[in-house]
Amino acid sequence: MALELKPKKWPGTIRTVTLGGGRRRTLAVGGGNALPLHAFEGSFPHRPLLALEITDTAPGRWPAAATEPWQGVLGQPAAAARRAVEGYGADLVMLHLAGTHPDRGNRSPDDAVADVRAVLDAVPVPLIVRGPGAGRKQNDVLARVAEACGGEGLVLHSACQEDYRTLAAVAVAYGHVLVAESPIDMNIAKQLNILLADASVDLNRVLIDPLTGGLGYGLEYTYSVMQRIRLAALGGDPMLNAPVVCLAGEEAWKAKEAGVPRHKEPLWGDERQRGINWEVATALPLVEAGAEIVVLRHPEALARLRRQLDGWFAETNRGVA
Amino acid sequence: MSKIIASAAIRGAHACMERAETMLAEAIERHGRDAAIGFPGTAYALPVILSLVGKRVEKLGDLEEALEEARGWLPAVPTEHLWLPYLGAALDAGSATLVAHEAVEAMKPLAGIPLAFDFWLGPTPDGILREQGIKLVDGRMPGFAACVGALPNDEAAEQLARDLQERNILVFMGSNSGGETMAAQLNRRGVEMNWETFLVPYGPDTSSIVHALGFACRAALTFGGLKPGGLKESREILLYNKRRVFAFVLALGELDDEKYATAAGTINFGFPVIADTDIPEILPSGICTYEHVVANVAHRDMPARAVEVRGVKMRTVEIPIPVRHGPAFEGERVRKEDLAIEFGGKYTRAFEYLISRPMDQLQDGLIRVAGPEIGDVPEAARLPLAIFVEVAGRKIQPEFESILERHIHSFLSEPMGVMHLGQRDTIWLRISKKARDAGFRIEHLGTVLLHKLKNDFPAIVDKVQVTLFTNAEDVDRLYPAAAAAYRQRDQRMGALTDEAVDTFYSCALCQSYAPNHVCIITPQRLGLCGAYNWLDGKAAYEINPHGGNLPVKKGEVLDPVLGQWKGINDFINNASNGAFPRFSTYSMLTDPMTSCGCFECVACVLPGTGGIMIVDREYQGQTPVGMSFSSLAEMVGGGQQTPGFIGIGTLYVVSKKFMTADGGLARLVWTTTRVKQRLGDMLRRRCEEIGRPELYDKIADETICTELEPLVAHLAAVEHPALAMGEMI
Repeated sequence: MALELKPKKWPGTIRTVTLGGGRRRTLAVGGGNALPLHAFEGSFPHRPLLALEITDTAPGRWPAAATEPWQGVLGQPAAAARRAVEGYGADLVMLHLAGTHPDRGNRSPDDAVADVRAVLDAVPVPLIVRGPGAGRKQNDVLARVAEACGGEGLVLHSACQEDYRTLAAVAVAYGHVLVAESPIDMNIAKQLNILLADASVDLNRVLIDPLTGGLGYGLEYTYSVMQRIRLAALGGDPMLNAPVVCLAGEEAWKAKEAGVPRHKEPLWGDERQRGINWEVATALPLVEAGAEIVVLRHPEALARLRRQLDGWFAETNRGVA
Repeated sequence: MSKIIASAAIRGAHACMERAETMLAEAIERHGRDAAIGFPGTAYALPVILSLVGKRVEKLGDLEEALEEARGWLPAVPTEHLWLPYLGAALDAGSATLVAHEAVEAMKPLAGIPLAFDFWLGPTPDGILREQGIKLVDGRMPGFAACVGALPNDEAAEQLARDLQERNILVFMGSNSGGETMAAQLNRRGVEMNWETFLVPYGPDTSSIVHALGFACRAALTFGGLKPGGLKESREILLYNKRRVFAFVLALGELDDEKYATAAGTINFGFPVIADTDIPEILPSGICTYEHVVANVAHRDMPARAVEVRGVKMRTVEIPIPVRHGPAFEGERVRKEDLAIEFGGKYTRAFEYLISRPMDQLQDGLIRVAGPEIGDVPEAARLPLAIFVEVAGRKIQPEFESILERHIHSFLSEPMGVMHLGQRDTIWLRISKKARDAGFRIEHLGTVLLHKLKNDFPAIVDKVQVTLFTNAEDVDRLYPAAAAAYRQRDQRMGALTDEAVDTFYSCALCQSYAPNHVCIITPQRLGLCGAYNWLDGKAAYEINPHGGNLPVKKGEVLDPVLGQWKGINDFINNASNGAFPRFSTYSMLTDPMTSCGCFECVACVLPGTGGIMIVDREYQGQTPVGMSFSSLAEMVGGGQQTPGFIGIGTLYVVSKKFMTADGGLARLVWTTTRVKQRLGDMLRRRCEEIGRPELYDKIADETICTELEPLVAHLAAVEHPALAMGEMI
């Protein structure tokens, strides 16, 4: 007897969010109307996008295996961005302004603007700009960047429940996309989106970052919260149907298992391959749970995910808006 | 609206409009309709006209059309016999006035009158708006004050400016009182005025006040993403200002018609007017959030009064006490040998008592210590203590007093070196030597309460006053009032029944873990976690209307026995994402409520006994149903309806509504000693109330048995009433 499929129809659709703009290349994410990868039930007009992370100053805490592909361009965001896009095939780039953190260099908002400008001039793809982390400096830096780069359709990462007003205001004023970050908590994800809508942010310009737990460090919590957000979104909740972005690379390479050298743990094998495996094993379940943008650190991890996505989304355009 | 004010505003509006029209006619004659006009450094043309009329004015010809449009808003000047120049007409006149003002300001350069001269800054360019306006929108700057006119003398002007600066309030100045201006007064005092000091003088004419509104309009257009257009768009811009830009007008000195007209214009933005003169007040809320015009306010009270009338919320970032504080220090103990001073425990009388007062009876921020301070007594002294907190707020309700009072414990546990235990009249408070040596005094307990209450409950608390009594006489004198209040609050809670209210509260705080789970909290059934009762839900909603607790109207009664209401069922159906169409409030068998995972206890049916058992979370052992708490929790949790099994808050057991549809308390055959101890006298009293005083002793616990067979034997031996009630399923 043949298996009879009974496709489920959902009342809700994931919002389509367009990144980039002006003279910059635009990419769209979202638009799906079924559970992730359930191509037999609905349609997915846009593929998940793969981003590579670059930093304003040489990263202090990346394991050697993660910095190796970036030799020669560490702390040079424009050159790194070019290598990410032209050399490694990233769909887009995330510039992490880690060096603006008061404890990690305390670079000024003007320095940040110069870095962002340099990256924008170097590559034609949309840009995610990640601040130094919640707090006053985050607002100072991202607000200045947002103002100086109005119309570029940047993705500002990120506003949180305790502190969203400044970034909401600049996202509206200068036409950027805003990432709403919640600590692996669906209620807060929803509440933050309500607050953003209340602060006049167009929810078609919002992405959810549900906060990634790396493999072995809470990945299953993120996975499960993402599932729940997606179920609510497809169920018709207009406050949770934003596309999802996950910083998989950062969390994966933070894991002890990804970075410990072979001579310390001989049984664990070569740390380079191990780190990349760890990153892929973190990122892949997130795509399966519905991540529309995955930010990675290692180009080989990106290449392996690319192959997988090519198989899954053979028919779908790569993010063309 | 007062007829006097409305008439004056309409007269003033006509005068302003005529002046603008005359100026325009002259300007067109000399320069032609194509002559360009506009303010320097802005992409928003004439921003008030752009927002209110929806027209981008770039040439004199455009201005002609805009003025014509605004002329049409002007109502007729009221005569003696006309009695209806009320709110609507006056507000329209106000809008027209602002259009006329902006027209006049824009034409000044053409007429050879400079906008910026001496210390006057003139209109604000977009660059400054981007930098400063965002602070108004994101809350870093609590609001702005548009000061119209001048003060009686230079000293008063400086004092007012400093008071406003101290509160981080941006100060705009414009207009004059008989030729004198506030800015000139500040200038004579040598006060620096610019965008760095937040003291911004616009111009000496009343028309210059329009630049403050132009600033507000551009903030809405820039950061609110609003687009100018027609009437609807104009309304959106005004509403944005009402909701986000906490501004107010300080009317200084005598008011003429033109100032009344301007004030009517600002009321359209939701910006109220606080006057130092005796003008008719407009108190009821309507356009503004609270009062519209408040008169006769002394200069030194103006900032505080304005903050209150506009509903500006001030937040302290750092609580000014000499020790570190935060939740990290909450569990800290102060030992005997580290003790600088202590209150209460079993040694002295100590209690805390919080009450609400009318707004005008409190002086916000007043903290007093009545009696000895920490330095006045020997080390390790024991003093009596009454912590007397008075709060006021627009939205405070007497029911919230006990909720706020209950927070005193966590607030006073947060400073490092302060230990606080208990609540009401059972408190025990210690301050360590280290804290004292760092400069911590009894007074600082008040400082902590003041800031925490205002920061954590901004929606309901506007003013706080704290008195710390440390002598026995005062403490004893205040105690009877506190004791009476505790009694009264308990009685009020007791009288609160499900029938007495029309609204229950939902709680969806656990949907992260149990996506389809939602709690319905009623006065007689608290949340299953035990942490939220109905009043907490109500207060939580007031504090954060976007949070996890929402009011749910009961609606039509569907089944009074099961406890089903149409409004509740509709809500549940929606909030559970369609998973559950119905909830029974009083049954664990028919459509029981779901459970997340946080329940204090599990109640489950015990077949063969005609009863139920209740096991608490701490209990590690076996139960008569053959499952431990953790196995039971797995069956109950996760947001499913499992008839016969539910999670409950412990206190629900002594509610008069405890499972009434299934037979109520008489069904309880087994529980843990911990539950029995916790409920103690309350449970005995409930047994008496249902006419079964002997029931308490018939309820078995783990000291009698943990298996079904001996339990059935025990129930038969003691003649437990459940046996006679028949099987539940």
